[in-house]
Amino acid sequence: MAVREGSSSILPREKGAAPLDVVIAVMGFLAALALGASLIADRTALGWRAGLSDHLTVQILPPAKNTPGQSLDQQVDAALLVLRATAGIAHAAPLTQEQTLSLVQPWLGADALVAELPLPRLIDAKIAPGAEVDIPALTAQLKQAAPDSLLDDHARWISRLKGLADTITWSAYGILLLIAIATAAAVSFATRAGLEAHHEMVELLHQMGAHSSFIAQAFERHYFRSTLGAAAVGAILAAILFLTAGGLEFAGIEAVPFLPPIALRLSELPWLLAVPVVSGLIALATARLSVLAALREIY
Amino acid sequence: MPEMAAFCATHIASRGLKLRRIGLVARRTLRAGQDHATRKWRKRGDEARLETGAMHRYVACMVRFENVGMRYSAGPEVLRDVTFSLDAGSFTFLTGLSGAGKTTLLKLIDMTQPPSRGLVTLFGRDLSVTKRSEFPALRRRIGVVFQDFRLLDHLSAFDNVALPLRLAGRSASDYVQDVEELLSWVGLGDRMKARPPTLSGGEQQRIAIARAVVARPDLLIADEPTGNVDSEIGQRLIRLFAELNRLGTTVLIATHDRALIEGMRAREMRLVDGRLIEMRAQS
Repeated sequence: MAVREGSSSILPREKGAAPLDVVIAVMGFLAALALGASLIADRTALGWRAGLSDHLTVQILPPAKNTPGQSLDQQVDAALLVLRATAGIAHAAPLTQEQTLSLVQPWLGADALVAELPLPRLIDAKIAPGAEVDIPALTAQLKQAAPDSLLDDHARWISRLKGLADTITWSAYGILLLIAIATAAAVSFATRAGLEAHHEMVELLHQMGAHSSFIAQAFERHYFRSTLGAAAVGAILAAILFLTAGGLEFAGIEAVPFLPPIALRLSELPWLLAVPVVSGLIALATARLSVLAALREIY
Repeated sequence: MPEMAAFCATHIASRGLKLRRIGLVARRTLRAGQDHATRKWRKRGDEARLETGAMHRYVACMVRFENVGMRYSAGPEVLRDVTFSLDAGSFTFLTGLSGAGKTTLLKLIDMTQPPSRGLVTLFGRDLSVTKRSEFPALRRRIGVVFQDFRLLDHLSAFDNVALPLRLAGRSASDYVQDVEELLSWVGLGDRMKARPPTLSGGEQQRIAIARAVVARPDLLIADEPTGNVDSEIGQRLIRLFAELNRLGTTVLIATHDRALIEGMRAREMRLVDGRLIEMRAQS
C-alpha cells in the first residue's frame, strides 16, 4: 500500500479552538472596518482639499443702511475687476441670488422671508492650475476696491478638514494597533494553552531530538493558518458591509447625510487583504516567540 | 529467517551504505571521544590516565555510568552507586522487578532526567558539562521504545514511524520507501494509514519499535518492548533488535521476560533495590 504522507501537521487540531477562531474573525472584521475607514477618510480629505484649494471665494457684505459709499452691486463689480486683473486667477464670476439662496437652504429653508434677508454676495474665483496667488496682496487690493469685501482662500477649512481626516486616519491606525496587540495576546494565550494541552507531545518530540525551533515551527504554522483563515472571514464580512453601503448609496440612500459615502471603491477592496495576511504574520511571530519562551522555561 | 535476510538486504543495509555509515559513525565517535577525554584529562593534569591507556575504556563506551545515584525530589534513592558501561555494538538486557529502577536508568540514558549524583557519559560526552543546545543532536542518535509507546494519536502509523526522519530533516520523498518497508516488516503494511487509537496494544507497540529503529540509531534503548505482543511477534521483534545490533547498533533492553533473555546470548544486568548487579556477560 503506497502511502504518500509525511507532511501531516505535527500539531493536532485543538478541541475547543473555535472560540479563538471567532475572536480572531471579529478582530479581523474590526481591523478591516478601521482600515476601510482610514482609506475613506484619506480619499475624502484629498477630494475636499483638491476641490477647495484651487478656488477662492470673495464675500461682499451688505453695507449697513444709511452708510455712504458704494452699493453692493458696485462693490461686486469692483471686486470682479480686481480679480480678473490678478495674475493666476483663471476665472471669476458672481453667484446668482438663486445660487446663494440654495447654499443657505439646508440651514434656513426656502421661505420667501429668507429672500428678504440681507445676504452677502459671493464671487467664486478659480485659480489657474499651478499658479500662485499672493493672497495678502489680493486681500488689500480687494479692500481698497470694495471695502466690505472678505477674501476666503479656504485655508481655515482646508486645515480643519486635514485635521479631521488626520484624526480619523490616526484613530484608525490606533485601533489597528490595539487590534494587533489584542490578536497577539489572544494567540499568545492560545499558544501557551496549546503547549499545556500538548505537553506530552512536546516532551516526546524533545526526547526524540527535536530542536525547540522545530516545535515552535509546528505551533507557528498551526496558528498562522488558523488566524489567516479566521481573519479572512472577518475581512470578507467587512468587505461585504462596505459593498452593501456602496450599493445603498448608489441607489440614492445616504447612510449619513452631509458626510461622504462610507463605501469603499472596488479598487480599494484589495487593501482589506492586508488584514488576514498581517494577522497571520502577527500570529506566526507571537506563537514562535511564546513557544520558544515557554520551552526555555521548561527545558 | 528468509524474512530476516530480506529485511537486512532491503532495509537496514539498503543501498549498501549502512555498514559504511556505521563504520564512519564508529570512527567519528571514537575520534570525538578521544578528543574529549584527552582534553578533559589534560585540563585536569591527569597525565597518568593518558599514559596508561585508560582512555580506551572511555572511547569504546557508548554509555558509561560511574557511581550514579538518582532520587526524585526528596524521596529515597531509586538508583544507588550504579556503575557500568555499554560497549559500542553490545547487546544488553536490563532486568529487575517492577519498581527496581529500570525505567529511571533508561531515563538517565536518554537524558530525560539528570542524575542526582555521579557521572553519566554518552557517546564519550560527559552529560554534566554538555551544553543543552547539543542535547537534540545526541538524542537523535538514540532510538527509544517507551513502555507506554507514546505514539501521537492524531498521526497515522506511517507518520508516527516517519517522525524521527522528519526530525532529522529528511524529505518525505526520501523516506517513504524506508518507512513502508519497515511497517510491512513489523506486520503493519496494511495499517499504515491507521491512527494509533484504532490499533491494538500489540500493533501500537510494533509502531513504537519501528519508530525507534527507523533512523538506524547508534544506541537503542527499549523499555519492555515485547510486553504487549504474543511470543511469535516478540521473537520477531527481538530478531530485529539483534540484526540492528549485528550491524553496529548498541542495544539495551529493559525486560522481565525471562524467556526472551534465555533465548539470547546477551549480557544481563540486574537491578535490585536500585543497585546494579552484573548477571551475565555477552558471549
